[in-house]
Amino acid sequence: MTKFAVLQLSGCAGCEVSLLNANEWIDRYKLVYMPLVISAYDVPKVDILLVSGGVRTDEDLYNLRKAARNAGQVVAVGTCAISGGVANLGNRDEVRMLFLSQNERMHVPRLLPRSRPIDAIVSVDRYLPGCPPTSELFMAMLFQTPDFKPGKSICIECGRIKDKTVRPKHLYGFQKGKVEPGLCLINQGYLCVGSSTRGGCRAPCTRAGHPCVGCRGPSDAFIEKESTEWLASIQKVFEVMTDIPKEEISKSLISPQLALFLFQFSDYSGEGRPPRSKEKVL
Amino acid sequence: MPTFTFPISRIEGHAQVVIEVQRGKVISARFQATEMRGFSYFVQGTPAEQMPVIVPRICGVCSTAHHVCSVKTLEDIFGVTPPPLARKIRELLLLGQIIQNQATSLFIFTMPDRLGVESIFQVDEKERKLSESSGIALKSLQVRKAGSDLITLAGGQFIHPVKAIIGGVTSGILSEPASKMKEQIDAILPIACDLFDHYWELSITMGEKIGSWGDDEPAHYITAVNDECPNFDSDDICIQEPDGNHCERFSAHQLFDKLEMETTDYSYAGESSYKGQVLRANSLARINMTKKMGTPRADEYLARFRSAFGKPAHAIMLFDLARGIELVYALERSAELLTEKLDGAELDVPYQPCDGEGYGLVEAPRGPLIHHYLVEKGLIKKADFIIPTVHNMRAISRALIVAARRYVDEDSVNMELERAVGRVVRAFDPCIACATH
Repeated sequence: MTKFAVLQLSGCAGCEVSLLNANEWIDRYKLVYMPLVISAYDVPKVDILLVSGGVRTDEDLYNLRKAARNAGQVVAVGTCAISGGVANLGNRDEVRMLFLSQNERMHVPRLLPRSRPIDAIVSVDRYLPGCPPTSELFMAMLFQTPDFKPGKSICIECGRIKDKTVRPKHLYGFQKGKVEPGLCLINQGYLCVGSSTRGGCRAPCTRAGHPCVGCRGPSDAFIEKESTEWLASIQKVFEVMTDIPKEEISKSLISPQLALFLFQFSDYSGEGRPPRSKEKVL
Repeated sequence: MPTFTFPISRIEGHAQVVIEVQRGKVISARFQATEMRGFSYFVQGTPAEQMPVIVPRICGVCSTAHHVCSVKTLEDIFGVTPPPLARKIRELLLLGQIIQNQATSLFIFTMPDRLGVESIFQVDEKERKLSESSGIALKSLQVRKAGSDLITLAGGQFIHPVKAIIGGVTSGILSEPASKMKEQIDAILPIACDLFDHYWELSITMGEKIGSWGDDEPAHYITAVNDECPNFDSDDICIQEPDGNHCERFSAHQLFDKLEMETTDYSYAGESSYKGQVLRANSLARINMTKKMGTPRADEYLARFRSAFGKPAHAIMLFDLARGIELVYALERSAELLTEKLDGAELDVPYQPCDGEGYGLVEAPRGPLIHHYLVEKGLIKKADFIIPTVHNMRAISRALIVAARRYVDEDSVNMELERAVGRVVRAFDPCIACATH
């Protein structure tokens, strides 16, 4: 029986909770290590090692290196392990100075200077982005289901209808005003980035009336490119679909606040790393 | 001087217990949170309206509580009152969280202690005991799933919800998916009750072996569920004296005047106290303070609990049984709510953003959760997250010392200590990702 382990570094356990939302794995694969649900101290030799969370403490660093050595395949799971996620917001210099100095402790693992994605430390065979990935995605990744075909972008999976005659004049931001059921959120003036975000999650957020915040990261068309190209494509979509002044869109998109917000999910080319090849990303 | 370090598994996040022994005497027992990400620092400078999407990521286990709490904080600043329909959907969201969390804590985190296994996912056909636990594993995941599905229905996203917005919710719940959800919950309720009955029985059978029925002193209890029946979308905080007779009630705004907050050099989590006294939050605090549950089966369990253990009850292992009563309540209560009208025009009210300071409060699975933001020019200037687990930190350390003294004497250390330490910590169901954020 295929053995797998889940190593949780500094993160929120959302990925683990999503994995537990599925049960198809129970009879097919043997889970041998996952401290959230199993009392075991060391990662044994496994076929598949799922790693969630970012490398934030010296303990994370140690555990990751040690576990990866014994793993047939390493899979980076969730946004934190792949691009730093929300915790990456703490990598800004002004923030780091503040919280590293105020949180020195004697008897606990030390905080590293910055949070790192796991492929900055060990080599990664596959990536499963999402904050967190859905349980369906988890199963498709674990079993490498051949008939699982994710949509090219969130728009393909969203189910909302684009209407050429509805052209908003101003940007609403993320959540203001009434959400019209069934109509594309961009037609309603919301800053939805689903057009260039990777599909596969079945678009739960936009279906519920909240703009896509891009947690699955860039779609195949952009994943091997600089994040500026991703932003440029979002801008283009708004120029084509709305009458929002060009300056207003670009101001919103490049404003430090929005950049900050999208950055948590989109920093696929940070730290001078080579881009992840799309073949490795589900 | 020997020091014992026990990493703690089957809890949320990274933590360890360190026990120092000198000449056969337990000198100290510390519960240490060993991770940190720095949310209160790095949200500074973000536009206030993005907070409800960012802060659920503090914790994937308690995300709905952070989501709703964040929205309530901003509503406090902007002076908005959400319509009743929106509050109903938020209550469902919080109930989904209770179902998911209590099922996880009971059947995945602490059931193995009662079965004498490392995990309910250990499947070994040769051993009867373990294959019994495999049946429990599938059933437990089914019960959890009812909670997760309810969160998805009421919250949009399945882990980090998006549906609560300032002034209301983005969308309602149509009657067809609502009645499907109700059917699922109706089918799950007997399974959950069976598992809980089994759990209760096993807990009693373990009796003194658990080592914590009679240990530890009475304590003050803190909760934000202080109505006739539990309502997790709460308005006030309540602290109950150890005798159960006197309560002090106050609003989230007064929190920093009422509680002492401290940091230590051995943990990334802080700890709180009330007039210098040990506090306890979480399920037992709620069960000790509520008049009744308000749903039929949960009230049966509550009556059984009270006749066996009294009111207020203080034994540590009763936190676990209290969680089971709440699981049953949350299933029954959400089934009730799902028959009501959950869609309509009155989903949200308009608001005008403004600068200012505000507090939000909900009762999370682990106790009262408070957010406090200062907004300047539309951006977050300061953010505090007062996490329920922090109220339990001193109680956990105190209980650990009691447990440790039981297993350490001048001649030897009984290594049952390791299991006892795990059981004590798990009874409090601490959440380390939240506590350190």
